[in-house]
Amino acid sequence: MKTSTPPLGRISLLFAILVWLALLLVDLVRIFGTINNLDSGISEEVTWILEILFSIFVYLVYRHNFWKNRHSDFLTLIWRGTSTGLLAASAGLLTELIYLAFGDSKIGTDPFLKNVFYHINFAWTSAFLISTTLLWKHLILYQKNKQVVNQWQAFELSMLVALFFVFYNHNNFDYSFLFGLVILLVISILLAVNLKWIPYLNFKEKWKTLLFLFLIMLCAGVLFYRVLDSGNEGQLQINLTDNLFLIALFGFVFTYGLFSFLVTLFNLPTSSVFEQKLTEAINFQKLSQSIQPEESEEQVLDILLDSCISASFSDGAWIELNPKELFQVKNLLRFLDEPTQAMLTSLIPQEKQSWVHTSPADLPQPQTIRLSHANYKSALLVPLLINKSILARIVLIKEVKEGFNKEMISIIGTFARQACISVENHRLLNQAIENERYQEELKIAQRVQKALLPLHLDHPTSFDICAYSNTADEVGGDYYDTYQVDENHFVFIMGDVSGKGTSAAFHMAQMKGVFQSLIQLGLHPAEFMKKANSALSKCLERNHFITASIFEIDITHHTFCHARAGHIPTLWYKASEKTAEFISVEGLGLGIVRNLTYENHVQEKTFDYNSGDILVLLTDGILEGRKETGEQFGYERIKKIVEDHHKKSPVNLQQVVLDSLHQFVGGDGMIDDDYSLLVVKFK
Amino acid sequence: MLQLEKIKEENRDILRLIGEVDASNSVLLDQSMQEILQQGATFLLIDGSQLGYISSAGLGVFMSYLDDFSDRGIRFAIFGLNEQVSEVFKILGLDRLIQIFPDKSTATTLAHEP
Repeated sequence: MKTSTPPLGRISLLFAILVWLALLLVDLVRIFGTINNLDSGISEEVTWILEILFSIFVYLVYRHNFWKNRHSDFLTLIWRGTSTGLLAASAGLLTELIYLAFGDSKIGTDPFLKNVFYHINFAWTSAFLISTTLLWKHLILYQKNKQVVNQWQAFELSMLVALFFVFYNHNNFDYSFLFGLVILLVISILLAVNLKWIPYLNFKEKWKTLLFLFLIMLCAGVLFYRVLDSGNEGQLQINLTDNLFLIALFGFVFTYGLFSFLVTLFNLPTSSVFEQKLTEAINFQKLSQSIQPEESEEQVLDILLDSCISASFSDGAWIELNPKELFQVKNLLRFLDEPTQAMLTSLIPQEKQSWVHTSPADLPQPQTIRLSHANYKSALLVPLLINKSILARIVLIKEVKEGFNKEMISIIGTFARQACISVENHRLLNQAIENERYQEELKIAQRVQKALLPLHLDHPTSFDICAYSNTADEVGGDYYDTYQVDENHFVFIMGDVSGKGTSAAFHMAQMKGVFQSLIQLGLHPAEFMKKANSALSKCLERNHFITASIFEIDITHHTFCHARAGHIPTLWYKASEKTAEFISVEGLGLGIVRNLTYENHVQEKTFDYNSGDILVLLTDGILEGRKETGEQFGYERIKKIVEDHHKKSPVNLQQVVLDSLHQFVGGDGMIDDDYSLLVVKFK
Repeated sequence: MLQLEKIKEENRDILRLIGEVDASNSVLLDQSMQEILQQGATFLLIDGSQLGYISSAGLGVFMSYLDDFSDRGIRFAIFGLNEQVSEVFKILGLDRLIQIFPDKSTATTLAHEP
């Protein structure tokens, strides 16, 4: 469709010219016949048909033309109409001049030449009227609704009827002609109230529009006068212009031109208000666009300040930032120098400049202040609030007293709120990005920490061992490890750093370092604890401590030597007695007493074990797992589980313990601590 | 939830702990202890009769002041702990370093300088 559209305009133009030439020829032949009293054999209907065809082709030419330029602004379109009118009018005036020059000479009275000129003027007049009608159509149908479209279609249909009216009326000026004309004029007036395009012109454009409209009306007037004039001349047998179609078009073009002219004229004084509203809308839209990550809050404040100035016609303005705000901006001062700003600031009452407000309920509102300054008489203070605290304050200054009306304050308040939303969104976005980065860091920490726990637990064939650890946060402070001293001696340890989270995780790493170094010295449990205490005392924060349980297993003698440093007592299931009990060994946590007296607080004990015995090492996270009611998992429950499930392998037993724990705390309970479990079963 | 009440009695400062001390609010406990010590307290009693739970972070707070108490000769004792909380102190071995009494009267009469 698109490719076939452009030639349509040119084809129409070609046809219009051809039809015009044919019309001219036919009419000249007819005149020749009339003058020489010969029957040319051409009836006047041929003229009419050609005239109608010409109008239709001109209409097609301009319709196509308009379609091509439909996105141009009003002024350009109106100018095109005006220029066509000027050309048509000048053609008419030129003819007039020529005849004035030749006067009553032979050429001046030659009927053929006169007709040629008449046809040229007819063509121009038609072109002007049809193009202007299409221009009016475009303007009338701006912001159209169904009703207007229907009205316009009715008008077009009536015009089409008027085009063929000549066959009925034979160009006589009778009542039917008048009747038709009145109907068309009434429709024209009805259509002429559609002037919604005018408010969108700015002040300057309105002046230009007035000029163009005046010219269009002038041209229409000149051409109409000439039409009447030529109609009155009796010399012409051919009359193309005294038909209803053209006269009605004149009426329409003139009516709408006049209406537009008057409305534009009366709109001139209020156009600044409309422009103001439009600017405000644009400013609002600018402010409401969220800040891009690469933009700064400063830019928002900048736009805000300019928007507020233009909305209130302020003579000076600045933005004061809350000193608590971390970011600082410069150059948020308009139309004033710094001494004047300082001067004006001192004139504003101190209590109105406070950055604190007593309660969230009485958030500061925009307030006007009367200034006692030589030049500046009134001020408006607008607080910018984010999260119920004052981010900044806009100060607007005017030279007139009480210069801020309710509408200004309300629109400025809206601007301020919108800017605050933008800034807040920007901050939230940045926070989210930052948080995501921390999450990533924590994930790395989590991975590193997981690697601190042994993947493989050293143990001989004579006992099975398994371990489990989970953290309350991303990282935690629970620790377990194993070490093979020699082929008959194995050590395993469980530790728990006080607190949880990142700080605990760091201490846990230190704990691992201490264990791995000391255990290689072949220290026995109590000695190990003393050395560990002394080492950890140097690196633990003052309010942190570590609890630990250590076991050294001698598989040849079936004994284990155990020391406990403040740790949860280890559960020992004795196969021979079919009961479990918590091993009672005195011992103080590591890092609590940070001097040599610690050796008084730790002891080790050696026990004989039998086949089928189970050792369960825990951290307090398991015992303190709580139901919603506050009840703790506790010692007794785990003891019972181990007694009931002593036949299971360590892995299965461990799973039973964990399942029971999770079942116990339920969906609404919580395990608010790291929890770990190490199970050893002797064969 | 942890509520802290400071009570001044004759030569004693009593800090009453109501609720639970965990990692999130152990800082509050630390602040209160510090305030009391800054006011020049010489005899500090912790009323733990309404203390439902104390985590290792809470224990860490008491622990961190032990050196201070002995350096400055401040009498310090805890009383009224329920069985569960008392057990936590015992397991860690803190009962050997901190004087723990069943009730206020025994604490006031028996608590001695460290």
